Amino acid sequence: MNNLWGDRAWLAAVTIGVIAMSALPFVANDYLVGTGLTLLMWLALTQSWCVLSKMTGYVSLGHVVFYGLGAYLMVVTWQQLPFVVVILAAGVLAALFAALVGLPVLRVRGPYFVILTFGLAELVKFSIMAAESASGTASRILFGTPDLVVVYFSMFALALLATGLLTWVSRSRFGHGLRSLRENEEAAETLGVPVVRFKLIAFVLSAAIPGMVGAVMALRSTYFVVGGVFDPMISITVIAMAILGGGDNAKGPVLGVVFLFLIQELLWANAPLLYMIILGAILITFVLLLPNGLVGLAGARTRRREARAVEARP
Amino acid sequence: MPVFDVLSSGQLLFAALVTGSLYALVALGLNLVYGTMRMLNVAHGDLVMLGAYAGYWAFSIAGISPLVAAPAVAGLGALLGYALYKGLFRRLLAVAPADAGRMEGNSLLLFFGLSIILQNAAAMLFTPNNRAYQYLDEVWRVGNVAMTGNRIAALVVAGATCIGVALFLGRSMAGLAMRSVIERREAAYIVGVDVDRVQWSSFALGFASAALAGVLMSMLEQFSPFSGFPFTIAGFIVIILGGLGNVMAGLVAALLLGVIETYGVALTSANLRSVLLYGCFVGALLLFPNGLLARRSTRK
Amino acid sequence: MSALLSVRGLGKRFGGLTALHDVSFAVGAGEIVGVMGANGAGKTTLFSLIAGNSRPSAGTIEFDGAPVVGLRPDQICRRGVARTFQIVKPFPSLTVLENLRTGAMFGHAQLRRRADADAASLQVLEEVGLASFAERLASSLTLSGQKRLEIARCVATGARLLLLDEVMAGLTPTEVGQMLTTLRHLQASRGLTLLVIEHVMRALMELCGRIVVLHHGELIAEGTPAQIGDNEKVLSVYFGAHA
Repeated sequence: MNNLWGDRAWLAAVTIGVIAMSALPFVANDYLVGTGLTLLMWLALTQSWCVLSKMTGYVSLGHVVFYGLGAYLMVVTWQQLPFVVVILAAGVLAALFAALVGLPVLRVRGPYFVILTFGLAELVKFSIMAAESASGTASRILFGTPDLVVVYFSMFALALLATGLLTWVSRSRFGHGLRSLRENEEAAETLGVPVVRFKLIAFVLSAAIPGMVGAVMALRSTYFVVGGVFDPMISITVIAMAILGGGDNAKGPVLGVVFLFLIQELLWANAPLLYMIILGAILITFVLLLPNGLVGLAGARTRRREARAVEARP
Repeated sequence: MPVFDVLSSGQLLFAALVTGSLYALVALGLNLVYGTMRMLNVAHGDLVMLGAYAGYWAFSIAGISPLVAAPAVAGLGALLGYALYKGLFRRLLAVAPADAGRMEGNSLLLFFGLSIILQNAAAMLFTPNNRAYQYLDEVWRVGNVAMTGNRIAALVVAGATCIGVALFLGRSMAGLAMRSVIERREAAYIVGVDVDRVQWSSFALGFASAALAGVLMSMLEQFSPFSGFPFTIAGFIVIILGGLGNVMAGLVAALLLGVIETYGVALTSANLRSVLLYGCFVGALLLFPNGLLARRSTRK
Repeated sequence: MSALLSVRGLGKRFGGLTALHDVSFAVGAGEIVGVMGANGAGKTTLFSLIAGNSRPSAGTIEFDGAPVVGLRPDQICRRGVARTFQIVKPFPSLTVLENLRTGAMFGHAQLRRRADADAASLQVLEEVGLASFAERLASSLTLSGQKRLEIARCVATGARLLLLDEVMAGLTPTEVGQMLTTLRHLQASRGLTLLVIEHVMRALMELCGRIVVLHHGELIAEGTPAQIGDNEKVLSVYFGAHA
């Protein structure tokens, strides 16, 4: 299914991408660097989401909760600790949160899991908002944030980490176990896959990177509002990007992220409502008609060619 | 405010009943639509929102009382449900059982996409600003409970509709057919139920009750294109707690939710309204990990 | 010869319904034992209990001398027990080979490296006649193919005891014959022990060395196929009191 590009072509594309993105801060203005930063952010978020949701089939609509926790940690500990430490701590915090809620949450199946994760993210959001409100804090401002280039390369590292993580999981024995439980959880367990443990590990793994991404993004925008870092549209955008790309390894999300990001950049400033409508339309179209995403489209053509070749043989 | 005063306040009880009755109406519609489709229609609350706008326009532009407009809006909702069923959902529902599991999982994203489109299209067409209007807001006093006319009207209409539909489902042949399709569609086919007719009437009734809830809501609160979603959440809480197809239990669950929300906010602060709502939502799902399926089998 | 599988006083209740009551029997290593009974007699429940998919209300189950009640299904599989499902549960969008890879990697054999797992899986595919379908999606197989896949997956786990739940159901007489040959071959070449639920009489009579008969959750008879065929209790249950 994932033969959109051969491994060599994929490797070439990745290398070019890495070189281009590394060079960006040295050749482009701040606005373009910021754009590149946002692209890398979506890549990191989407790849990490796929580690859980594409591999296990447990579609999470609450991915933003890890992002928000990381951002919040950065903001409340601002200038008390070196920001690198906080970024790492944000990853740990998010992973701990996932470990804590994972067991009960992962017992819920199918569409109920989807709305549960959504509800959980909203619950965390409103709880923190209520706590902030009770302590009289409406918003926070961060002074003395690091240089854009520093923030950029932090995000770059996270995007690489996320891509690497998904690639490794996708090719490992662990990943095969995840795929098996996605296809049929009861059969997988009966064949020896420790499904409960594996689901939880995938959940925790998928949480750490968005936590760190959130912490980094908090450095980017100096004005912080709780609702903004727990915005459900972040979760929905990640899903749209992943569905658009398709597949269950690291290749699809790259396609989906780039594609949707371009649309976003074109429309967001001037027609944000139209952008949302298009986002909704993309969700509907790809869920209904193209469940394997762009990767699947290309793969289907390859499969049809192969099938015809097979039939041609006597 | 001392706890005892809060708990014994007739004022709060009235508010809880009003909120609960609206939730009951929304959940009723969701019960019917979800029970028929088996797909989590997260766009259900947006129907409420559309109903609210209809009521608003009827009053602000044509001067028609929302109570008079309500049946018409409900009728429009029914028409929309019928049209969507015939045009779209009937085909979706004909999917083979093997694929149905996948469909159910993905369908949520589908309806989410629909919800996003509805909300933002409404924001584009109607502007994202909050809307409100004054209607029947003279205060009536019974003892030391102050009730506005619009709240009384909402409670009466919502309550009557819920009880009426509950009776219809429980006592009439058509209602029995509906319940049987919700319970187990394949079995209903076998015993000769006209499943197609039941399905579109469930849709029509479900959409109508959502639209009606919207009109009532427009009398009571200010709303925006994004106000529908909390009603979706509330609707799901109610049917998860009350059980699918179990309208009476749903009524109880809805009132309970209204009570938790109203008293909870009064005892703590208004900021906690959403915390309570989503807390109940998460709690309900964690308590019943199989959503509604486990409830159905244990009732046998 | 100590039993590979030993079931004693096994019972299972679902609310008011008693699915199994006081069932005791043993299966020796290398045996092929059949489980017979009308629908609702408790046969699949028995398999679910042995494989760990559900817990017994009473009784003990010992596999290879060690108790297994309370273990999770994946733990029991790693000990050497594998089961098929009455309604096949393939991994639909994985290939046939990938289906078996799961068993080989995670089952009793614990072949953690992909190369080892796939080599072992291909071997099994040869033996069940699915080798040419290795790269096909599991969902593209016919019912007969999927039944073979189900069995192949279990064999790939390296299990010593296979619980086969109505693997002949829905097969044509020719296919039944092929399946019987395959099962006998697998059992012989790998020294497997088989516990087989079947309605297809031919399968029970030709394949099994011993048969246990369940009725309304109770074990009413046990013996060779010939003995079962003559057993009065069995005859009266299947054909009425005056057979």
